[in-house]
Order: sequence, then C-alpha cells, then structure tokens
Amino acid sequence: MEYYTQLTVLAATAEASADEGILAALGIDWMLLAIQLVAFLVLVWILRKFVYPVFIRIIDEREEKIEASVKAAEIAEQNAESAQENVQALLKEARKEAKEIVATAKDEATAMVDASDKKAKARADKIVADAHDKIEKDVIAARKALHNDTIELVALATEKVVGQITSAQLDKKVIDSAVKEAR
Amino acid sequence: MAKLSRRKIAALWASELLKGRDITGQVAAYLVESRRVDEATLIVRDTEIALAEHGVVVADLTSAYALSADSREAIEKFLAIKMNADKVAFRESTEPSVIGGVRIETAGRQLDATLKTRLNQLKASKI
Repeated sequence: MEYYTQLTVLAATAEASADEGILAALGIDWMLLAIQLVAFLVLVWILRKFVYPVFIRIIDEREEKIEASVKAAEIAEQNAESAQENVQALLKEARKEAKEIVATAKDEATAMVDASDKKAKARADKIVADAHDKIEKDVIAARKALHNDTIELVALATEKVVGQITSAQLDKKVIDSAVKEAR
Repeated sequence: MAKLSRRKIAALWASELLKGRDITGQVAAYLVESRRVDEATLIVRDTEIALAEHGVVVADLTSAYALSADSREAIEKFLAIKMNADKVAFRESTEPSVIGGVRIETAGRQLDATLKTRLNQLKASKI
C-alpha cells in the first residue's frame, strides 16, 4: 500500500515537471552542464596533449620491444634450426670422414701388411740366394782345393816314384821323346 | 891400355877359335890384368853367340844320367836343324835332381825337357 502511494507521488511529480521542462524535471542545470562539458573537454585536451602521448609512446616502445623480442625469438629459433641442421650436417660429414678414415686406415694397414710380406719374402729369397751363392762358392773352393791337392800329391808321388824307377835306359827314351816333340 | 868392350873380346875370341887358335889363356890373362874377371861368364856367353852366328853352337846339356851316344846324336841333329849350325859342341853335366830328361841351353836359348821342370809346371798349374 505504501509502495503504491510512493508511485502515485512520483507520478504526480513527473506530471508537474513536464510542464516546466524535461531537463529541469530531471534536475539538470544548463550552466552546470556547460561548465562540466568545458571542464571535460579541457581534461580531454590535457590528457591528449600531455598524458596520452606518453602512454602511447610507452606502449609503442613496449610494442616495439615485444616485436623485437618476437623477432629475436624467431631469429633465435631459426638460428637454432639452422644450428641443428648444421650440427646434423657436421655429424653426417664427421661420420663420412670417420668412415673414410677407417677405410683409409684399413687400406693402409693392408698395404703395410702386403709391403711387410713382400719385404719378408724378398729378404727370405735373398737369404736363400746368398746361401746358394755361398754353397756354390764353397763347392768351387773345395773343388779348387781338391784339384790343387791332387796336383800336389800327383807331382810329389810322381817325383818319388819316377825318381826311384828311372834308369839310363828309361831316361834315353824320355830324352829321345822330348827331342822329337821339340822338332 | 885401352879397355876393350865385352862384345869385341867375344868377337875376337870367336874369330880365333874358328881359325883353330885357342886364345882362352890370353883372354883370361887380359881379364885378370884388367880386373874384369867378374865379366868372364858374360864374355863366354857373348863368344858363344858370336860362334853361333858363324854356325858353331855350344850347348850345355844337363841330365840325370850320362847321355847315351844315340841321345847325343839326336840332340846334335836337333840343334843343327833348329839353329842352322854346321858344328855342335856339348858341355855335359849330370844332375840327379832333374829326375829324368834333358835340359839344353845354348847362347840365348833353352829347351828344358827335364821331368823335374815338367813336375814343376804341373805344380804351377794349381788354381
């Protein structure tokens, strides 16, 4: 009931105000409104002139920093990818070089073994050849010694035997034979 | 007295021998007097060479046994042919060390057919 009463009052008041003007009915003062508008505009102008540029500059700088950071991050990421690729390439190259080194080492080892075998074989052949030469020389020396000993022995024996068996008759035959040979 | 050369003495001595005159004593006296006795061997050799040039060969024969007449004759014929000699004379000597055979030495030439030399040659053939 009370609520109904208040609405009734309010409706009566609104009805009365409509007669004086809506703004007045709303309690708006034109002068105050104008002053507030001017103050607002001044405030806007001040903000725009002195505060907003600072905020905008700070925001721009912040944005630039963020963009720079993003770019740096992108670059870092690209660099990391590139580094990863380089690492992979290097690893691949290193593996390839390692294989080549191992292959070369194997080839060199094989070559060294072959060379060593050849050298050993040549040395063995030389030893055998030297031994053959020495044996041959020894045989020749032995033959010479035998030859000389035989000659010495034959000469000695002949001298002894012939010295005992020669006679004037035999000597005559030797002399006659020698003279015939000399002719 | 002028000193005669060895060759002149030899030529004179050979010439006299060929004429049948033996001047050996005079040559010996000359060598003694001129103190050239040590040249005697060389003068004898030169004289033998000079004699050989005139067809007279003097040979030294060395053998182990005394040579038989046949051997001597064979050697004489051999030397007469080889050295174109009209006359051959021998100086013989025996030397048992030669074992057998004969060594014939004339002025400037030698034929050694002794067994001793042949044995020495055999020994020398050692290698």
